Amino acid sequence: MPPGRSIRSRLCLLLVFLTPVVLGATDRSEPIVVQDPQYGEVLFYFYQEDYFPALVRLLAAKEQERLTHHADEAELLLGGMYLSYGHHLEAAEIFERLLADNVDADIRDRTWFFLAKIWYQRGYLDKAQEALSYIQGDLPEHIQREALMLDAQILLDAGEYDVAIAKLQNWNGRTEWASYAKFNIGVALVRSGRVDAAAKLLNDLGEMDPFNEELTSLRDKANLALGYALLQDGQPYAAKSPLQRVRLEGPFSNKALLGVGWADAEMDNYDRALVPWMELRGRDLLDSAVQESMLAIPYAMAKLDSISQAADHYLNAIEAFYEESNRLDRTIDHIESGEFFDEFIANDPLDSTGWYWRLEELPEGPEARYLFHLLATHEFQEGLKNYRDLSYLYRNLDTWQQNIDVYANMLETRLEAYAERLPRVEESLASADIDGMVTRKLEFDSTMNNIEESHDWLALATKSEFDTWGEITGLESTPALHADIPEAAEVSDKISLLKGVLQWQLERDFKDRLWRIRRDLRLTGEALVDTQRSRRQIDETMRQEPLRFENLSARVQDLSPRIEGIKMRVEDALSRQRGFLQSIATGELQAQKDRLDIYTIQARFALAAIYDIAATAGEASE
Amino acid sequence: MDADVAQVEARDMEAREAESREQFRSLDQDVQSLKKEVLDLNRDLFLLEEELLFPANSQVAFFISMDVGEYFELDSVTIKIDGKEVANYLYTEREADALIRGGVHRVHMANLKTGDHELIAIFTGKGPHVRDYRRGATMNFDKGIGAKFLELEISDRVKKQQPEFIIKEWE
Repeated sequence: MPPGRSIRSRLCLLLVFLTPVVLGATDRSEPIVVQDPQYGEVLFYFYQEDYFPALVRLLAAKEQERLTHHADEAELLLGGMYLSYGHHLEAAEIFERLLADNVDADIRDRTWFFLAKIWYQRGYLDKAQEALSYIQGDLPEHIQREALMLDAQILLDAGEYDVAIAKLQNWNGRTEWASYAKFNIGVALVRSGRVDAAAKLLNDLGEMDPFNEELTSLRDKANLALGYALLQDGQPYAAKSPLQRVRLEGPFSNKALLGVGWADAEMDNYDRALVPWMELRGRDLLDSAVQESMLAIPYAMAKLDSISQAADHYLNAIEAFYEESNRLDRTIDHIESGEFFDEFIANDPLDSTGWYWRLEELPEGPEARYLFHLLATHEFQEGLKNYRDLSYLYRNLDTWQQNIDVYANMLETRLEAYAERLPRVEESLASADIDGMVTRKLEFDSTMNNIEESHDWLALATKSEFDTWGEITGLESTPALHADIPEAAEVSDKISLLKGVLQWQLERDFKDRLWRIRRDLRLTGEALVDTQRSRRQIDETMRQEPLRFENLSARVQDLSPRIEGIKMRVEDALSRQRGFLQSIATGELQAQKDRLDIYTIQARFALAAIYDIAATAGEASE
Repeated sequence: MDADVAQVEARDMEAREAESREQFRSLDQDVQSLKKEVLDLNRDLFLLEEELLFPANSQVAFFISMDVGEYFELDSVTIKIDGKEVANYLYTEREADALIRGGVHRVHMANLKTGDHELIAIFTGKGPHVRDYRRGATMNFDKGIGAKFLELEISDRVKKQQPEFIIKEWE
C-alpha cells in the first residue's frame, strides 16, 4: 500500500472512531471491510455504543493475536473507545503515540482539541492547557472558536485575567461565541478591578437584540453582572438601568429585582426600593435573593419609620429561615444516609457507561429542589459519571465472582470424569496392536512383490479356482491315463484342455487381481497411518490434558483472589466517590444553611435594635 | 449587608471549589486505574471462559455479517448443525444497524468433533418491497483439529435486486 493511502485511511478511521465524540453517535460512515471476524465483533459492540464489552473483546483478540489484518485500526479504535468509555488518560497515551507521526495535522489538532475539552470538563486544567498547546494549525472555524474560549476559560479559572483578556480581545463578529467571549472579558475585567472598561463591554451585550433563548439568557447575565459590578463600585444610579433590563421572569430575575432595590436604597429612596423587594416576597424561598429580600423589606420599612411593620417582617423572616433551616437539616441527613446517590442511578440501566452519559432527570424528593443547579457543574456531573461507572464495575465483578466459582467446580468435575475414563481408554488402547498390524501389512507387501516378480498367477486364484486346479493336476497323475488306449489319450487331451483354459483365465486376470489387491493394501496402509496419527494425538492429548487442567486451575485460582481484591477496591472507591458527592451536596446545603444563619442573626440584631428604639421612644414619651 | 455576606460566600466558595477539584482529580485517577484493571481482568476472564467452555480443538464459532443491506432487513437467524437447532437469535434495530455498518456478530459457539458436519442457516426479515422474507443457506464443512470460524454473510445481489446468503470459512 502506498504511504499516502495508508495515511489517508488512518485519518478516515480516526474520524470514524472519534465520531461519537466529534459528531455524535448517529453519524453514518462507509462500512468498514472486516478481514478478521474478531475485529468485526468488536465493531458490532462499538457501533451499539456498548464500549465495555467492545473493549474487552478487543483486548482479548489482541492477546490472542487475532487482529493481524487490522493491527493499526485496532489501536486507533482502542484509543477512541477508551475515550468513549471515559478512560481518558489511557486514550491520551495511545493518541500521543499514534499522533506523533504520519497523521495529518488537521486530524491531530482536532484530536488534541477534543482531549483538551474532556480534560477541562474533568478538571485537569493543566493537561487541558497542554493539549491545547499542541494544536499547531488552524482548526475549522467553529472548533477554533470553541478552542479559543476553552483556552481563555482555563486562564480565567487560573486567575490570569490579563492574559485571558488579551486572548479574547481580538475576537469580533456577531456570533454567539463572540458574545460569550465579550461576556468573559467583561467578567475578567470586573474581577481585575477595571469596572469602567468592563461596563462598556457588558453594556453592549446588555443592549443587544438576541435572536435565540441562549443569547437572551446571556444578555440577562451581562446586565446582572454589570449592575452588581456598578453597585459594588458605588454607582447605584448607573446600576439601575442594566438591572432593569433583565427579564422579569427568568433565572436571573430574582437577583436583578434584589439589585434594583439595593440601587434605590443606596440612593436613600426606600419607597421605591420596596417595590421590587415586595415582588420577590411571593417567590421561591430557596433563592438567596428571595431570602435576602425578607431582610431588605423590614430594613427599608425601618428606614421609612414603619417600625411596627418592620418588626413583623423580621419576625416572619426569622420564622421562615428557621423552617427552611430545618428542612435543610433533614435533607442533609438523608444525603448522609447514603441512599440518595443510589436513587440517582437506580432507574437507569447500567449498559452505557462512560463519557456520554448524563443524568437527564433528577430523582423525586426534597433534595432535588436544593441541588438542581449542582447538576449544571462539570464536577458534580463527572463525579456522578464516575459513581455510575464504578457501580457498573462492581456489578461486573460480582457476576464474575459467581461465574469463577462455577468454573472451578466445572474444572473439578471434568478432572474427576477424566480420571475415571482414563483407565478404560488406556485398556482399550493397549488391546489394539497397531504395530502388529503394520508388520502384517508389510509382510503382505513383501508377499505381493514376490508374486508379481515370479508372475505367480496361481497365488492370486480364488479358493474354488485353486481347488479346481488341484483336482485337474490330481487327475493328470492318475495311472489309468497312461494306458495305451485311445480313450486314455482322449481323456488326457480333455484334462490338458481344461488345465490350459484355467491357466489362461488365471493369467488373464492376474494383473487385474494384482492391482485390486495392491489398491486394498494401499488403503489399508493409509488407514493404518491415520490410526497411527490418531493414536499419536490421543497420546499427546493424554499428555497435555493434565497440563491443560493444571493451567486452567492455576488461572482460576489466580483470578479468583484478583476479582476479590479489585472488587474490594472498587467498593472502597465507590464509597469514597459517594463521600465526595455527598460532601459537595452537603457542602452546598450547608452553605445555604450558613447563609440562613447569618440572615437570622442579622434579623435578630435588627429586631433587637427596633425594640431598643421602641423602648427608648416609650421612655422618652413617659 | 449584601456585600459582607456575598464576600464571605465568594471566598468560601472559591476555597471549596479548589479543594473539591483536587479531591475529584485524585478520585478520578483512582477510578481510571480501576477501570484499566477491571478491563484487563475481564480480558483474562473472557479468554479463560472461552478456553474452558470451547477448547481450541473442538471450537467452532459462527458469525453473522451484512454488507449494504438494501434488499434485506434482518429480523432473526436460526442455526442448525447436523440437523439439530442450536441457535435462534432475534436482532434489535440497534444490532441490525451495527451489522450494516460493518459489525460482525458471533451468534453461536459450539464444540464439534473433527470430521464432516452440515450447517443450515435460516434468515428471516423483510425482503424487497418490505415483504416477509425467509431463506436458508446450507453448507457442509470439515472440522479439523484447530478452532474453526464460519461466517454467514448476507449481501445484496444488485443485479437481481435480491439478498444473497453466503457461508464462508475463515482460515
